[in-house]
Amino acid sequence: MTSSARRLRAILGLSGPTALWLVVTVALPLAAMLVFSFLTVVPMGGREAAFTLKHYTDFFTRPLYLTNAWRSVRLGLEVTFFCALVGYPAAYVLARTIKGRWREALLLLVVLPFWSNSLVRTFSWTMVLNDNGLLARAVHGVLPFAPSFDLLYTYPAIVIGLMQAYLPYMILTCYISLQAIDDSLSEAAYSLGASRFDVFRRVILPLSLPGLVAGSILIFVPVLGAFMEPRILGGQQAIMLGTLIESQFTASFNWPLGAALGFIMLVIVLLIMGLFYPVLKKHISVD
Amino acid sequence: MSAVGISNVAKYYGRLAALADVSLTIQDGEFFGLLGPSGGGKTTLLRSIAGFVEPDRGEITIAGKTVSNIPINKRDIGMMFQNYALFPHLTVAENIGFGLSVRHRPKSEIAERVRHLLELVRLSGFEARKPKQMSGGQQQRIALARALSTNPKVLLLDEPLGALDKKLREEMQFELKQIQREVGITTVFVTHDQEEALTLSDRIAIMNKGGVEQIGSPREIYERPRTAFAASFLGTANFFEGVVSGRSDGLTRIELPDGQAIFTTDEAPAGAKVTAAVRPEKLLAGPPRPEAPQGRINTIQGRVTAEVFTGNSVTYKVDAGDRTVTVFVQNRTDERFGPNQAIALTWEAFHTILVAA
Amino acid sequence: MKKTTSALSGLYLILILFFLYIPIIIMMIMSFNRSELYLLPFEFDLVWYEQLAQNGQLLGAARNSILIALVNAVLATTLGTMTALCFARYEFRGKRVLQGLLLPTLTMPWLITGTAMLLFFFWSGIGRGLHSILLGHVALSLPYVVIIVGARLRSFGVSMEEAAATLGANAWQTFWRVTAPLMAPGIVAAALFAFAISFDQFVISYFLAPVGTSTLPVQIYSAIRKGFTPEINAISTIIILASMILMIGFAYFSKFGGER
Repeated sequence: MTSSARRLRAILGLSGPTALWLVVTVALPLAAMLVFSFLTVVPMGGREAAFTLKHYTDFFTRPLYLTNAWRSVRLGLEVTFFCALVGYPAAYVLARTIKGRWREALLLLVVLPFWSNSLVRTFSWTMVLNDNGLLARAVHGVLPFAPSFDLLYTYPAIVIGLMQAYLPYMILTCYISLQAIDDSLSEAAYSLGASRFDVFRRVILPLSLPGLVAGSILIFVPVLGAFMEPRILGGQQAIMLGTLIESQFTASFNWPLGAALGFIMLVIVLLIMGLFYPVLKKHISVD
Repeated sequence: MSAVGISNVAKYYGRLAALADVSLTIQDGEFFGLLGPSGGGKTTLLRSIAGFVEPDRGEITIAGKTVSNIPINKRDIGMMFQNYALFPHLTVAENIGFGLSVRHRPKSEIAERVRHLLELVRLSGFEARKPKQMSGGQQQRIALARALSTNPKVLLLDEPLGALDKKLREEMQFELKQIQREVGITTVFVTHDQEEALTLSDRIAIMNKGGVEQIGSPREIYERPRTAFAASFLGTANFFEGVVSGRSDGLTRIELPDGQAIFTTDEAPAGAKVTAAVRPEKLLAGPPRPEAPQGRINTIQGRVTAEVFTGNSVTYKVDAGDRTVTVFVQNRTDERFGPNQAIALTWEAFHTILVAA
Repeated sequence: MKKTTSALSGLYLILILFFLYIPIIIMMIMSFNRSELYLLPFEFDLVWYEQLAQNGQLLGAARNSILIALVNAVLATTLGTMTALCFARYEFRGKRVLQGLLLPTLTMPWLITGTAMLLFFFWSGIGRGLHSILLGHVALSLPYVVIIVGARLRSFGVSMEEAAATLGANAWQTFWRVTAPLMAPGIVAAALFAFAISFDQFVISYFLAPVGTSTLPVQIYSAIRKGFTPEINAISTIIILASMILMIGFAYFSKFGGER
């Protein structure tokens, strides 16, 4: 056997199974989804399907879809923004103030909640946020005459629940890029007469930007597609693009419409990625 | 019999020649250095001998046998890697015994061989350690012991001392050479460090742009470099470019563009444009002398532009006409030359070496 | 000044950890509280753990989850390790395509991946069920395995294998004596990761689970929708403790936070 034939066999043997697996579970399903999004019904059980653009035109003409798509995008942006606002300083403290075993332990603590069931965590917030919940009790314990407040089944409740779920991503990605910045760089900046603020704005922040961007994408994408958290924390008031898509598949069984809405969501994801692509390309290399 | 033979070996990466028809012969028991800048082809040549690189053309022999179709693991070589490539999951003893173990040798034989090799590299008692627990110098010696473990026909060293600091490197150079002599193994090593090449090698091949510039003993190459590249890569050289204007008394006269003339014992036809190299330590610096050069002594006049004190010697940069000449003066007397001082540089005619540009 | 800064930053981190851990801590506490309506004062009771032991539906779903997670870990780790090896050792034309196939599950909302799978599996006759959930979970885990094992492979480069070859080892010996042991920590970490991804995976399973069969997250979701019972707090407490142990194991094997 020639060496090039042996090479080919090795390549096929090693990555063929993965390729086949991903074709069946990723490539074909996405292709099918695209095709079905242009059909009147799913062509099964003898039903005749016809080509239609209706699902897409519906999206742009019926305010229900546009409003909810915007609500989803807004939710994604807000959750991402708050995660960055809260997470970046935490990552900064972890990477640049705390040293040694403490840093390792704290980092582990930040990441651990990942591994608890997200559903249960989300549900636990209902115990915290409702009028009888712990937050209200704590506040009333200190201020007995404070007005009663009930965050559960409101928009802020969804934001809080999602933030808790995705904050570790932001802390982790920012931490990784912050701790990679050599101390000598900020020392060099100080030696050139830069103030603490200058050093942060002109050295630390630009160099840690890739982590911030990576974290933002890791958060924005799943939040855009979130449906479980809005359902549990937002009740029926929280209709989002995600919950709309989900219900097409599980309740109203209009799969082609769901497929079309799914593709629109995908386009939004790609648009956002495209927006950040220059930064990503510059700083993050995919081997 | 030659231990390693390279004939007309060529390797191209795209249109770039990493090796361009290289031929050389390495003798049995020789310590052979491949010296050159990065990208010069020395590593490609070493890796071709090992079998990691498959040449496009030419033949490589080890102990008289063509190895072109022999896989790496059957070539009977020992190689020491630049980063040592010690197996981190194995102990020192298991690292050294690896080659014998994959050959299914009995355990007692392996243990005996490991013990012997550790003695050779003066690390007895470290059998059970992991490589990570050892210092850089110790790791280097373990890598050497491992490369020697199978009694290979040829030992290949890729930048053997590159990862060590200066002090340790000097110590290891000495030790490496001693061990090589003791074992008597043919050794080919790659380096970009001229001092390392000079200290270790019996012979050196200077490589540049995929080709061999010169092969010879360190002294030969240093004293009689054949090309300007060889002269400047191994040691420092001053170059004089001029035109040959005649020969008499066994001396060739070279007219320099600024009107001065220098002499060499090397021969060249009249009218030829030549490049002459002179080592900085061959030059003597002294007060200016007005009389013209005569006999076998060359003289050129100049002015000191810079002085660098390096302990055992002083380096002067001298502005001599349209060129800057470097001079090393032994720190032997109190004589010093200040900036802008006029001086004369003299040297023996046979220290003027004609080199190919 | 320096002292106040570090005290303040420490306080800040504690606040964040508090935010991250309140729901988990509350859930754990409530799993031991007698009141069904999470009423205080706290009364210690193991009643929910006792009820859990009798809840066949929940335990069945948990068994399914563990089974799928185990098979998923084995399959995804095997396939992913092979792919990582292939990526590290060969340059080939389809490499880009395969890398492209690994990306969607990482970069798309699971909602889309899940509904696309539901559509295709249903239409093509693969159908819904534990087998299609497994198909989906492996697809989800593969990119992570390739990344983790690939990073490990890169960390020791090819020189170890080259060294083994010069010492006379053949390809087989090189793989089993050098490559495999060196990859092992990465493989173990990847397997733990794959297990955790599958065990916690809700969205994909939700769309692919047929009526009557489910995994633990899907079962928990329907319980939440119908009216939560504290038994779920009990099983979640057990899961969280178990997954924290897994995670610490992962941290240990992947040398989380640098060399030790």
